[in-house]
Amino acid sequence: MTHAAAVKEVAVLARLSISDEDIETATTEFNQTLALFDALSSVDTTQVTPMVNPLDAVQRLRIDSVETLVDREGLMRNAPAQDQHYFLVPRVLD
Amino acid sequence: MAKAVNTLAALSQQLRTGSVSSRELTEDSLLRIARLNPALNAVITSCEDRALAAAAQADKALASGDVSPLLGIPMLHKDIFCTRDVRTTCASKMLAEFIPPYSATVVNRLETAGMISLGKCNMDEFAMGSSNETSFFGAARNPWDTARVPGGSSGGSAAAVAAGFATLATGTDTGGSIRQPAALCGITGLKPSYGRVSRYGMIAFASSMDQAGPMARTAEDCALVLSAMAGSDALDSTCSDQPVPNYAETLEQSISGLRIGVPKEFFSHHLDAAVADAIDRAIKELEQAGATIVDVSLPSTDLGVSTYYVIAPAEASANLSRYDGVRYGYRCENPADLEDLYTRSRSEGFGPEVKRRILVGTFTLSAASYDQYFMKAQQVRRVIANEYDTVLDNVDVIAGPSAPNTAFVLNDQSKSITDMYMEDVFTIGANLAGLPAISVPAGLVNGLPVGMQLIGRRFDEARLLNVAHQYQKRTDWHTLSPDLGGLV
Repeated sequence: MTHAAAVKEVAVLARLSISDEDIETATTEFNQTLALFDALSSVDTTQVTPMVNPLDAVQRLRIDSVETLVDREGLMRNAPAQDQHYFLVPRVLD
Repeated sequence: MAKAVNTLAALSQQLRTGSVSSRELTEDSLLRIARLNPALNAVITSCEDRALAAAAQADKALASGDVSPLLGIPMLHKDIFCTRDVRTTCASKMLAEFIPPYSATVVNRLETAGMISLGKCNMDEFAMGSSNETSFFGAARNPWDTARVPGGSSGGSAAAVAAGFATLATGTDTGGSIRQPAALCGITGLKPSYGRVSRYGMIAFASSMDQAGPMARTAEDCALVLSAMAGSDALDSTCSDQPVPNYAETLEQSISGLRIGVPKEFFSHHLDAAVADAIDRAIKELEQAGATIVDVSLPSTDLGVSTYYVIAPAEASANLSRYDGVRYGYRCENPADLEDLYTRSRSEGFGPEVKRRILVGTFTLSAASYDQYFMKAQQVRRVIANEYDTVLDNVDVIAGPSAPNTAFVLNDQSKSITDMYMEDVFTIGANLAGLPAISVPAGLVNGLPVGMQLIGRRFDEARLLNVAHQYQKRTDWHTLSPDLGGLV
């Protein structure tokens, strides 16, 4: 059973906020989902290698050559705030 | 109920003989969308001018003798695929204004093959859902009964094809998101093997399971489209370089002597009795076509749901960390500082189901829970994949239901979050194991479609399409369309 304070802590890690009004429902739903995972503990997985990729593929590398895939203007077009091709964020240094 | 509109293969033939033009087909589709979409909400964004311009190009190519099978055929994309200069939202407020500077490989390949993109289909937000109800743009409706869901997450694509907006829509499937809506809307939907189709430009949900595929009327149409969609891509290092066969060439092979496994766990208490009867009849049809039906067992079927709902949210929490309100996507008003910018942009930009999954994923990936949940789920994933491989060593194809029930009513308050997750109980296994699987229309229960699922060996899409095509030659469920007269 995970308590509301712990769910709030996870939310902070995920950069999500949960209001005091919503925390009870969020905690109930969180615990419902975790209860679904209880069944996993019934499986004996000693000696079982975790499956990270369904093809057990390893990272393929390509030739390290310079290519232009996306134009800068196209990328910057979606920026919520920008100035001279820089993304603007609230001041981080005083 | 009415007999279906044309198939993609039939339209292709008509285009090449000159009995219809791409412009006429495109105008018909756009008109149909304009008339019916207000009731169905299957399409989020229409691209009329671009579509008509592309149709004019296609007509020129046809006139010059180009006989490419997909040339000039109108289609729709799930709004998870980036389309250059066309809004791509993933049905989220987070990306409601996002204009991609590039197109997904799937989009590029189908455009290169001459297909005409009419627009973008509704879906569950970031592909998280089995009903389309999590869309920021409101749920798409099932054309067979607009009080019911079309399934999800590719619900808009399924509804659009079922309503005859186009003969093809693209979909993506992470836990059943092509097959379940295909089943609920009475169309054919193929999830290829993991790595068969490039994921470049497909907005990521769970990277070790996401896969794109065709949603169409028939297995034959899916075969024509998969041949154009599939194949290695330098822009996606997880995309396989296995050669792509011409899937249409093997459709007519006899299935006599083929071994088809039926897992007893697929006929469990989760499955509606009337749906079970329909699937039984469909399997008998395969037997009458000469296949040998074999009882098999996939004992960890139910565990798939637990495994999936650890792994998919964990991968999603990592993938969706990129949405921070800085470079693109929704940004909150007047952030006080950088933390406030991140937290409020994400909290206001994501919907409830996406936030639920990010929370769970962040939790299972945290140091204190990693071994208990994430590592354990990856081990159980291997157990499940091994069970499928063992069964598929002895049979050519596995058959069973695609979904436990027919389309359920919208806003069903009796369904808990975990009830909704059980919608995927029969489809999740193929995603965990990376196997190809297809859903084909296999009957009606109380006037609503039922889908039969066929699961094959890795990269053996040709066999799946062959079996599905042979089934469709013997049955006419795929030719039925909902009566849409009342919607206009």
